[in-house]
Amino acid sequence: MSQQIVVYGASWCPDCHRSRTFLDEHHISYDWIDIDEDPAAADKVAQINHGNKTIPTIIFPDDSILVEPSDKALSEKLVTLNIMQPDNKQSAVVTHDVIMVGAGPAALTAAIYTTREDIDTLLFEKGVIGGLAAVTDLIDNYPGFTNGVHGLELADSLRGQAERFGAVIELGEVMSIKDEGKMKRLETTSGDMLARAVLIATGSDYKKTGVPGEAEYYARGVHYCATCDGAFYRDKKLAVIGGGNSAVQESIFLTRFASHIDLLVRSTLKASEVLRSELKQYVAAGKITVHEGVKPKEIVGDDNGVNKIITTDANDKEVVYDIDGVFVFIGLLPNTGFLKSSGIELDAVGLIKTDQNLETNIKGVFAAGDVRSGATMQIASAAGEGATAALKIREYLEGKL
Amino acid sequence: MVKNITIFTTNTCAYCQMVKTYLRAKGVGYDEVNLDENPHRRIEAHSLSGALTVPVTVVTKTDDSQEIIVGYNLSKLVPAIS
Repeated sequence: MSQQIVVYGASWCPDCHRSRTFLDEHHISYDWIDIDEDPAAADKVAQINHGNKTIPTIIFPDDSILVEPSDKALSEKLVTLNIMQPDNKQSAVVTHDVIMVGAGPAALTAAIYTTREDIDTLLFEKGVIGGLAAVTDLIDNYPGFTNGVHGLELADSLRGQAERFGAVIELGEVMSIKDEGKMKRLETTSGDMLARAVLIATGSDYKKTGVPGEAEYYARGVHYCATCDGAFYRDKKLAVIGGGNSAVQESIFLTRFASHIDLLVRSTLKASEVLRSELKQYVAAGKITVHEGVKPKEIVGDDNGVNKIITTDANDKEVVYDIDGVFVFIGLLPNTGFLKSSGIELDAVGLIKTDQNLETNIKGVFAAGDVRSGATMQIASAAGEGATAALKIREYLEGKL
Repeated sequence: MVKNITIFTTNTCAYCQMVKTYLRAKGVGYDEVNLDENPHRRIEAHSLSGALTVPVTVVTKTDDSQEIIVGYNLSKLVPAIS
């Protein structure tokens, strides 16, 4: 039997979708013919079904036909024809239309779009729902909020909106993604899962400086989350390492606790103009001192925690700051470690390469947000990319991409 | 068996929200000590965890032994409450 199975159906037909998913899950190839786009095929279906265009109508290689079969009937037919083994264990694997890896602004926005289209969507989040946006104190440049919005509040709203339309967020981790043609197999903390399409939106994490003492004093004087750990530094002296938007924004946040902050900038301040002018007020008030051209060399402490940071200044002279804690915001590292053996192409810094449809080199696997090569690392862009990815995923699932 | 759970949190801490979200999803009750509202209890959180961070989740078992989980760490939280 060399002839293919042919499934006649339509994109709006849930039973067609179910039968196709069953075939996909069992890695059984077939030809898909949409009768809305092929009048001759529509006539053929009507002929088979005594004038009714009943779908799905499935024609098998031995010319036998099943109309609107249950999964059980379809399975029995495939076993009879020796196309499928009777005890195929793969049927136990959970299948979704789309699995999104990550639940930050990109994935949550994508989920709002896919679930509104009734595309069955599952998100996996191993860290914080809302991603880095959720741990940012104030987001001043996300459109629609006159006075800015707290990261946690934005994350909660996005989550609530996605869940309202039926998105399901699983608190767990995806360890690997394997391309199995029409289906993608994801190894997760909830077992293996299959998805017809995958969106990778795992974002990035704050980079570490790598200086001695950083790992040793982690959470005992060295921190990466001001909104989590700032409260422990009431009336204490802090150093913040970094000179970008996050470093300045979080330094300003930390002034509500700390008595003084040394902002240690390795080169020059790169924060936006608005943040820099806001920073000036805190500098004038003596709450923050900015030091440019400063390179951290070692974080020093004792059993009670951190007590100083040793640096070199622009003239290579050693300068020591007496402080009680250090917060590090020196840039971002993409969360793509789990893709090592996936065959998904990454760029030189580990970001995922995509085409203009936000699709990776593997068909049906898309990427959006901070984890994508070429992303602008903005929450508004991540949300926009999430929306684009969702629309492209819909096209892909409909066989139009 | 778990007797009770106490989580030290702050208002702005997203990881604290995640611990609470996880426990709620599993139908597990907990007490919360908000350090913004009870700043004097920071010392308690610090001495229990040895860390200057939240969330600190204290799982007390029926035999009164305690398990302390620092941060939002499912690989430690899941076995501790099961």
